[in-house]
Amino acid sequence: MLEVDHLNKVYDSHGRRVEAIGDLTFTVPEGQFACVVGPSGCGKTTLLRTLAGLLPPTSGEVQVLRRRVTEPPAGLAVVFQEYGRSLFPWLRVRDNVELPLRAQRIAKARRRELADEALAAVGLAGTGSAYPWQLSGGMQQRVAIARAIAYQPRVLLMDEPFAAVDAQTRADLEDLIRSVWQRLGVTLLFVTHDIDEAVYLGQRVVILSAAPTRVADDLDIDLPADRDQLTTRADPRFTELRSRVYAQIQKVKADPPGKEG
Amino acid sequence: MTLLRRTLLALGLPVLLVAVWWWASAGSTDFYRPALSTILAAFADTWTWDRVRADVLPSLARLAAGYLLALTGGVALGVLIGGNRHVRAFLEPLLEFLRAIPPPVLVPVFILLSGVGDRTKVLVIAFGCVWPILLNTVEGVRGRDEVLSDTCRTYRIGGGLRLWHLLLRSASPRIVTGARQALAIALIVMVISEMIAADNGLGFAVLQFQRGFQIPAMWSGVLLLGLIGVLLAWGFRWAERRMLGWYYGQRAGRREW
Ligand SMILES: Nc1ncnc2c1ncn2[C@@H]1O[C@H](COP(=O)(O)OP(=O)(O)O)[C@@H](O)[C@H]1O
Ligand SMILES: [Mg+2]
Repeated sequence: MLEVDHLNKVYDSHGRRVEAIGDLTFTVPEGQFACVVGPSGCGKTTLLRTLAGLLPPTSGEVQVLRRRVTEPPAGLAVVFQEYGRSLFPWLRVRDNVELPLRAQRIAKARRRELADEALAAVGLAGTGSAYPWQLSGGMQQRVAIARAIAYQPRVLLMDEPFAAVDAQTRADLEDLIRSVWQRLGVTLLFVTHDIDEAVYLGQRVVILSAAPTRVADDLDIDLPADRDQLTTRADPRFTELRSRVYAQIQKVKADPPGKEG
Repeated sequence: MTLLRRTLLALGLPVLLVAVWWWASAGSTDFYRPALSTILAAFADTWTWDRVRADVLPSLARLAAGYLLALTGGVALGVLIGGNRHVRAFLEPLLEFLRAIPPPVLVPVFILLSGVGDRTKVLVIAFGCVWPILLNTVEGVRGRDEVLSDTCRTYRIGGGLRLWHLLLRSASPRIVTGARQALAIALIVMVISEMIAADNGLGFAVLQFQRGFQIPAMWSGVLLLGLIGVLLAWGFRWAERRMLGWYYGQRAGRREW
């Protein structure tokens, strides 16, 4: 459960004032898979960091699991855009996955079990003893996802997680995320700038405007729950939805909301 | 490169220099510049087991104590300063000043404050060599990856796990760099402190030989100090390879791409 209530965020550093988020309000109910799309620089990462408790809002507030966020909330995991840098290079893959569990004082046997399960779920069963820098970008991304899964979060935030991987890996990872979400029943907020990806993955797509950011549109994705790279993407309904999102984004770009004040 | 070629390359220059020294000094009648053969003979006569126990071991013990003190103190203080902006702003001017003091100057001061015993020498060694460790730790901790910091925050990794896996491991390549510089300084300060105030130790022995006109023995002491320096550097490199395996692996991987 996520609530964003009149969120506003202004960066003010070194004499440069940037209104990254204008006025944002939306709610993601428990267990929903919501995608957020918007042009580059519209404040998607800022929104996510605010939800994760890494950044205080300038005004307004955000709630995670019905509690106002003032610090990183328990039960929330993040897969960062810079996933490669989010792995500890001095820890083997398995230890990377286990570290958050150690911080929670989970017993060693249980940690191993959770890490093994998570690594198997992302198709990395045999790589526990490798170092992250020995893996390809796509594999590193899967380690970051495995770490989030093993943590058993109730809320999962992902920031353009597939922006830097090749097309085939990307399709695999998309299906992986769908199945993880279905299995864990987490509330998932997935940030992307890729329209097709948003429509393919989510139950809902929230479209953000360019800065000063607000919600430009909010679409239900009424595609069947069982999705498949071939059939879903060929589905006329898919094409229709993606055209609507596309048109909406074009409108946002062509007709930026006027700056007040 | 094969091991053989590497060994030949590494040993080539030292062997050449020793050969030149041997040849140039052979049959020397200059009292202050004895033949290398004379020095080597003196080496065997001088550095007997009794002598090692009387002079070398005390020196090495003081070196080890001073160095370890600097290492623990420097890293602890460095983490504290590097991890907190306010502590850094508060302590930096004082540290800049202390760092600028040449360590040998402190020997007489420390003698006044804590006597001529081993404690003084250990403290002077520690004070002299702590700076590269401290400054590198501060920079290493400050330079930690912010995505890793955010990862620790979101997964609520704190306390000892954060200290070890985020702060210390991030800083470890820098800490090792500082520790290597510190080792060389520690050896220098050890010798100087023993020359100024000691009744045993390598620095003391070399000075005694020189004052007693035992010139070959003096040269053999210099040789021994050089050897100790080389052995310490080798030991250091071995430990470094073991501790920073991930670091060299990661860098090698980047170069390949
Ligand atoms: N730490 C920061 N300091 C100042 N400005 C920032 C900072 N982070 C982001 N911004 C600015 O805020 C805006 C939104 O950034 P971001 O949230 O990263 O957008 P997105 O993730 O949608 O590309 C951009 O104009 C960016 O330059
Ligand atoms: Mg971003």
